Amino acid sequence: MSKGVRPPPNGGGFRFRVRGPRDFYGGLALIALAIVAIWTSGDLPGTHGFAFGPGTAPRLFAGLLAICGALVALSGLFLDGPRLESYAIRGPAWVIAAILAFAIMIRGINLGPLHIPPLGLVPSTFAAFIISVFGSTEMRLVESLIAAVVMTAFCVALFVYLLQLPFQLWPWI
Amino acid sequence: MSELLANLALGFSVAASPYNIGFCLLGALVGTLVGVLPGIGTVATVAMLLPITFGLPPVGALIMLAGIYYGAQYGGSTTSVLVNIPGEATSVVTCLDGHQMARQGRAGAALSIAAIGSFFAGCVSTVLVAALGVPLTSIALLFGPAEYFSLMVLGLIFAVVLAKGSVLKAIAMILTGLLLSMVGSDLETGAGRMTFDIAELSDGIGFTNVAMGVFGFAEIIRNLEMSQESRDIVKGKIKGLMPTRQDLIDASGAIARGTILGSLLGILPGGGAVVASFAAYTFEKRISKHPERFGRGAIEGVAAPESANNAAAQTSFIPLLTLGIPPNAVMALMVGAMTIHGIVPGPQVMAKQPELFWGMIASMWLGNLMLVIINLPLVGVWVSLLRVPYRLLYPSIIVFCCIGIYSINNSPTDVVIAAVFGLFGYWLNKHDFEPAPLVLAFVLGPLMEENLRRAMLIARGDATVFLTRPISAGLIAVAVGLLIIAALPMMRRRRQEVFVE
Repeated sequence: MSKGVRPPPNGGGFRFRVRGPRDFYGGLALIALAIVAIWTSGDLPGTHGFAFGPGTAPRLFAGLLAICGALVALSGLFLDGPRLESYAIRGPAWVIAAILAFAIMIRGINLGPLHIPPLGLVPSTFAAFIISVFGSTEMRLVESLIAAVVMTAFCVALFVYLLQLPFQLWPWI
Repeated sequence: MSELLANLALGFSVAASPYNIGFCLLGALVGTLVGVLPGIGTVATVAMLLPITFGLPPVGALIMLAGIYYGAQYGGSTTSVLVNIPGEATSVVTCLDGHQMARQGRAGAALSIAAIGSFFAGCVSTVLVAALGVPLTSIALLFGPAEYFSLMVLGLIFAVVLAKGSVLKAIAMILTGLLLSMVGSDLETGAGRMTFDIAELSDGIGFTNVAMGVFGFAEIIRNLEMSQESRDIVKGKIKGLMPTRQDLIDASGAIARGTILGSLLGILPGGGAVVASFAAYTFEKRISKHPERFGRGAIEGVAAPESANNAAAQTSFIPLLTLGIPPNAVMALMVGAMTIHGIVPGPQVMAKQPELFWGMIASMWLGNLMLVIINLPLVGVWVSLLRVPYRLLYPSIIVFCCIGIYSINNSPTDVVIAAVFGLFGYWLNKHDFEPAPLVLAFVLGPLMEENLRRAMLIARGDATVFLTRPISAGLIAVAVGLLIIAALPMMRRRRQEVFVE
């Protein structure tokens, strides 16, 4: 997990380790973010006379962020800090899958060979519920199915009938 | 004075119309219902419920949102007391003594003191908002772009000082938030900035998407990592809802002090409600004759922070209504709601739409009253809600959030963006970065940039304008002073102590 904490394999000679990997890698990621921002706003016109151009403020703040990220990374390099925590895969993967499923199903999608028609609120809600259930190690199938039906009914009642928001309910209407 | 009374009378006549009372009641109920669910804080609650106010008339919608806000906050303290999970940052300290009281079988007393304290604080701060609204609006007229910019810098510095952990990392979060807020079309020229030529990004990243991702989805992902069985719900029936006479006597001083402290801190931009509850708790502990009782179920330890955060929550409307600057994430959502209804928050609201302004202030008081009346008898219902296992709760929250985000713009892309921010929030948490400063900076970003550009243009490119205009210079001086104090090693240790407690 935390590469920085282990001493280099060849031992001896120059020994160096990252003391605070959380800050070190966090800082590096912020620098990367700042570089992306500077790169992507690079073609925008900058200050023109007294007036800021559209590119001035993004580059200014991205530059400051890069400096800040560097300071955070440096402090992680030289100051002792907590180890990196491991990332869970199961929870995030299923939760994100459920959200994406909802986004795709509600309006449909046309992406190259993939063609899904808009499926409406009822199937989208039900599917998102069932997919997200798998994120927990404690899931029980029958109970989840019942809960998904109840929640779908509740959402339809609330958003469509009570709040009168315009939703397509089923694939065919 | 008579003018104040006349204004309040106007407000109450608006707020007390049967429809608006209904909206207020409904908002408070729904707000509590969602706020009680562990893992959803006030911001996520308000964001989730934002769409349900779209169909209402503007006054009704804002009154309902205010009700949701108080309800969510009250719901947060209920979870603190009963399950030892703070619904959000402002009720973290309530856990300390509140949950201990619950374990000693005094959950009812803790909850009712929290409600009574909140109600008292609500009464005082409602009057305060009404009284300060007019004079502060006239101050707002003295503010030019430079002053607005400096004020927002001060607000962000406050958020840095109040964030836990490293000052440097909090500043990094502010800058990240500012940068993210600049995605989308440029204000003046309409040029697409950092959009990667994605059409959906040309309108910028919606604030609700960021808030739901970072506070809603990220929180769920994180909770899934922990074992769910560790939740420790107070078992058995809650009896003795009313506090004893002794409880009331013990708590009354704490409520009064918490209210004063909270009202003052709430006006400051940058998340006053959080610091108010911490400050009130620490202050109470310091002046107590028996500080050792704190953390073991002292009723003052519940009364003071709960009064303080409610007072602060209410006075935080002051910067929004008078200057048009949202001092925290919830107020930013209010700005969003107001804009949807065609209202631009700021000093002109009071002059142009007095019934809206005063109606909202009056509804704050009504909302607080409703919380006391409806929530105390309903404590049993809220507790049973907490017994719903998390494995069923979190899919419901996800589904509800998805529908909510989608319905704001009928945009599936918004849902995807929120998912991305969910993962981003998870990563931030793994690296000990605080999301609160990021979100505040994201909210203030466009306003800040606009005022910065205007100020620079007026000053003909001379950046010293922020230091030569007296009000602006004063605000910057305070900000720099705060930053220096926060970075001092001695203060750094103190801040850690406060947050460790």
